[in-house]
Amino acid sequence: MSILLLFALLFGLLVIGVPVAVSLGLSSLVFIVTNGMPSLIVLHNMVNGVNSFPLIAIPFFILAGHLMNTAGITTKIFNFARAMVGWMHGGLGHVNVGASVVFAGMSGAAVADAGGLGNIEIKAMRDAGYDTDFSVGITAASSTIGPIIPPSLPLVIYGVVSDTSIGQLFAAGLIPGLLMAFSLMIMVGWYAKRRNYPRDDRFRFSIFWRALIDATLPLMTPIIIVGGIVTGIFTPTEAAVAAVAYSMFLGLVVYRTLNWKSMLRVSMDTIEMTASILMIVAASAIFGWILTANQVANEFAGLLLGFTENKIAILLIITLLVLVIGCFMETIAAITILVPVLLPVAVQIGIDPVHFGIILILNLMLGLLTPPVGMVLFVLSKVSDVPFERCVVATAPFLIPLVAVLLLLTFVPAFSMWLPTLVYR
Amino acid sequence: MTENHHGKGRPAKAAPSFLSLEEAEVDISDIRWVDVPVLLIFWVLMAVVFLQFFTRYVLNDSLGWTEEIARFLLILVGFIGAITATRKGSHIFLEFFYRFIPAKFGKLLAVFAEAITLTFYSIGAWVTVELAQKTKQSMISIDVPKSLIYWAVAVSFSAMALYSLTWLIRKIRQDSSQVVAELEEHAISE
Repeated sequence: MSILLLFALLFGLLVIGVPVAVSLGLSSLVFIVTNGMPSLIVLHNMVNGVNSFPLIAIPFFILAGHLMNTAGITTKIFNFARAMVGWMHGGLGHVNVGASVVFAGMSGAAVADAGGLGNIEIKAMRDAGYDTDFSVGITAASSTIGPIIPPSLPLVIYGVVSDTSIGQLFAAGLIPGLLMAFSLMIMVGWYAKRRNYPRDDRFRFSIFWRALIDATLPLMTPIIIVGGIVTGIFTPTEAAVAAVAYSMFLGLVVYRTLNWKSMLRVSMDTIEMTASILMIVAASAIFGWILTANQVANEFAGLLLGFTENKIAILLIITLLVLVIGCFMETIAAITILVPVLLPVAVQIGIDPVHFGIILILNLMLGLLTPPVGMVLFVLSKVSDVPFERCVVATAPFLIPLVAVLLLLTFVPAFSMWLPTLVYR
Repeated sequence: MTENHHGKGRPAKAAPSFLSLEEAEVDISDIRWVDVPVLLIFWVLMAVVFLQFFTRYVLNDSLGWTEEIARFLLILVGFIGAITATRKGSHIFLEFFYRFIPAKFGKLLAVFAEAITLTFYSIGAWVTVELAQKTKQSMISIDVPKSLIYWAVAVSFSAMALYSLTWLIRKIRQDSSQVVAELEEHAISE
């Protein structure tokens, strides 16, 4: 069986709704067996594909996110962001972005952001008289900041699959995440002026102070995680452990919102999500092994370099390719399939794997905002009772600033690389 | 000072009202006794990694064995947890194709996909047993045979195959619209 058939089988299985992990595992199995190799290789690779210490960060970050949501911390963060930027034109739009930035420093998944904060944000914006489309659009767009600012599940997976330092990747994501927030705030400001959106009363220090006091303990979480990782005090796994310990302290001791029942609930949810991610990582280990053993990346590079040798053109082709694939494929699956093919090409034209990771993940995040497989849109459609199709249309304008940031990050490596080279020398 | 002192832009309420969260009742009705092993393993994993963190930062002397044990437990959480994911049908898959095809064909396709999944889990169980029998090494830090991991994975695959079989039977029995409705449900429950 040829590599082309392997891909055809994989996509065939994916399209008819076979679980991603099974599609990867089964197509690899068929390839291995038809090429006369023992099937033991498949299972050996699968099991050892998750035998990796950095992956332990995954359940911890997921657990920390769940604990934060349960402890009612999201509301405090929203209130804090509101006291800080609510007075601006289109105040709640800015609040939406600001809260997502803070939440991004605690959670590693865009979907968690949309599901937890999104609910509060859309409700508050509707109550204040914003039109639904704007509310849904900005909520969807701002939730993609989550996996760019550390911690980030997609970056952990990328780091493991590409054998890149996750600490460096995390440090690299901070500035790009803030750039995304900045670009979205410009967009909000523009809309607010044109449509004359409401705002809260002028900035009042007393209100800000009250919200700050109320949110101080939760706000320590992003400071511990992001600060710890960016300064190199914590490895990503250690930061994840610290985040869990701290959020359990908040939930059990300070706010007393956690009991055995909710602990059981968050544990089970964490296990389920961890398992479904790890199964994909496991199955992609064998798939990646086949791609590497057959030098698929080399052939792809040859094909691409035969077409053009211009670095910018190649980057644009890769970006376009990832954008299209990101529209159809779930993030984790896309990372595990794309990295073994694309990363060697990127490295060959002189792109740092850390830089490439950031643009790849941001690129895939845009796929969460587009049909047909837009996870963030599915979630928002559910929490806001707005039909999926309308969510798609509402979010589309916000893709403009995000794509602009993507291009900026692609062609100016310094935005991603400055911080990690400063910290990890 | 009036509320309009910023110029244009209509002012909202005088002061931002502080939101408070209404506590929703925690629902654990979907947790079964079969989930207990993975819950225990998960908590042991948490404890082991905490221990490593603690010994490194507080006692300045990290315990060597914790890393290998932690990786071992992570593999178990992944595969045994996948049983729960199979039981609840929460493995990640793409469902967009089902939006574009008639329900009747959708059911046929869903049954076919489940049959393929069942096949893979069964082969997985079979091959992992073989792998376990051939593995002779022991783990480095503690005297536990490495084959234990493979046995656990083999058991997980078998259990996944069983749950997949019940899903298959269920999908065959359901009428087409139900099958497709459940797929839609899956799409938004992530």
